[in-house]
Amino acid sequence: MKMKKFINKPENIVAELLEGLALSHPAQIRLAGNHLVARAVPKAKGKVGVVTLGGSGHEPGLSGFVGEGMLDVSVPGEIFAAPGAPRCLEAIRLANYGAGVLFIVLNHAGDVLSANLTMEMAKREGLNVKMTLTHEDISGGTDPEDRRGLVGFLPVYKVTGAAAEEGQPLDACFEIAERMGRNMRTLAVAVQTATHPSTGQPIFELGDDEMEIGMGQHGEAGTGRMKLKTADETAEIMLDSLLKDLDVKSGEELLVIVNGAGATTLMELFILFRRVDQILKGKGIKLARGKVGEFITTQEQAGFQLMIARMDRELLRLWDAPSNAPYFVVR
Amino acid sequence: MSNSITKDDFARMIAGAASAIREQHAMLSELDCAAGDGDHGSTMLRTMDRLEAAFAPGSPEDLKTCLKDAGWSVLGVDGGASSSLLGVFFGGMADAADDELIVLFEAGLSALRKQTKAQPGDKTMMDALVPAVLAIRAAADQEKSTSEALHDAALAAHAGADATRNMTARHGRAKFLGEKTRGHADPGATSVSLLFEGFDKSWSNWKGEAGNA
Repeated sequence: MKMKKFINKPENIVAELLEGLALSHPAQIRLAGNHLVARAVPKAKGKVGVVTLGGSGHEPGLSGFVGEGMLDVSVPGEIFAAPGAPRCLEAIRLANYGAGVLFIVLNHAGDVLSANLTMEMAKREGLNVKMTLTHEDISGGTDPEDRRGLVGFLPVYKVTGAAAEEGQPLDACFEIAERMGRNMRTLAVAVQTATHPSTGQPIFELGDDEMEIGMGQHGEAGTGRMKLKTADETAEIMLDSLLKDLDVKSGEELLVIVNGAGATTLMELFILFRRVDQILKGKGIKLARGKVGEFITTQEQAGFQLMIARMDRELLRLWDAPSNAPYFVVR
Repeated sequence: MSNSITKDDFARMIAGAASAIREQHAMLSELDCAAGDGDHGSTMLRTMDRLEAAFAPGSPEDLKTCLKDAGWSVLGVDGGASSSLLGVFFGGMADAADDELIVLFEAGLSALRKQTKAQPGDKTMMDALVPAVLAIRAAADQEKSTSEALHDAALAAHAGADATRNMTARHGRAKFLGEKTRGHADPGATSVSLLFEGFDKSWSNWKGEAGNA
């Protein structure tokens, strides 16, 4: 099938989308340097800067979360491709307000490679930077290195950004990011492929009556290909795996995020969320906070990511703190 | 025999590699569709543009300075892992102890190994690069000429890339496709094989014409 997308020249997609993102939220964000997305009003001196990187084509991830209370600078790459180290280094310099920078990296090969190179260069420049890796996708197996970073970036940006905004030092921000990271798990399911907007190619193939649990952010195959199931059955299978992996006990408090992949409707996401809540109630687990929406997408891929995170008092307080990021406003 | 490489030599090698990539970029993107997102050809085109620019007239006279600039510039291609790894490889050559062909290439490979755990057999660019550098090492030990060394390297890289067809990806994004990656050569290894094919051709053509191969 021919790709039907409202784009211009493929090579201009990233520059044009960033221009539109910034123009539509001028009070919160601006473009800076070489295609970096930065806060319109920089943070006060003496506070920790928070920076992330990642490929484009996943809007509003990741640049939609730049704003007061969340990220200071994001480094968008080409479509589905990590940005290189030079622009990441530029972002870290820009986000350095004198108290160091926390670099949040989602575990994907290209991102990690660029991030490691950036860290070497930043250290050579004498910049005070710490890196935290998010890897919460349980479909990758038990080795953390094999677990990809999916929508779990959202709570990590949120709690770390809030801690930095309050003026917590770099070591404390790093500890909060790591704690949030250790206590979250995600599983994704896909029912329909996306097309790569630059090449017009489908990024994976899936039968008309199939779904695949464990699908990565870019259609990387998971392990659970099966016949399409109902919302309730799908939520049960996925939540069951997540609760086991995180070893959640009755009485604990969870944050739950249902993230639409791009073509799955809010209607479906709400139906799924409702079932998640029912299951948790049945097990005596408290749904402390919930969020349903599109935070990281893959074009018109259909499917969703289900994320659970064990929350403590401080993490909940930071999750509830204000943010003016265009795609995560908390008042 | 000394096989020392000048800046002009390297500029010619890069030009040869760039034309080899430009001829085959559509094939590289097609290969990438099998296990990636189909953008490898365009990433390689941008990589070669930047490598050539780093050696263009007006660039620094010193080979190491050019290599350092080239590496940094390729890191900025923003094309995911492929361009970052090639940036590390060419930039790493700038740390070579001297300008001998084998010393340059071994320095590049050693810089790369600090950034990736991929080994030959994992279906990555290392499947072409490692045998190519080993071939240059063997040629140096046998005191072969630069022309012969680059020819041996091109053959070794080609064989290495070809062998990836029967391998299962174990690194990068493709590893999540596992067995589905069998049957297609790895795009990164194929690109490296094209780079060495270009090095070989540029050297044999030019040195051949000059009559001192």
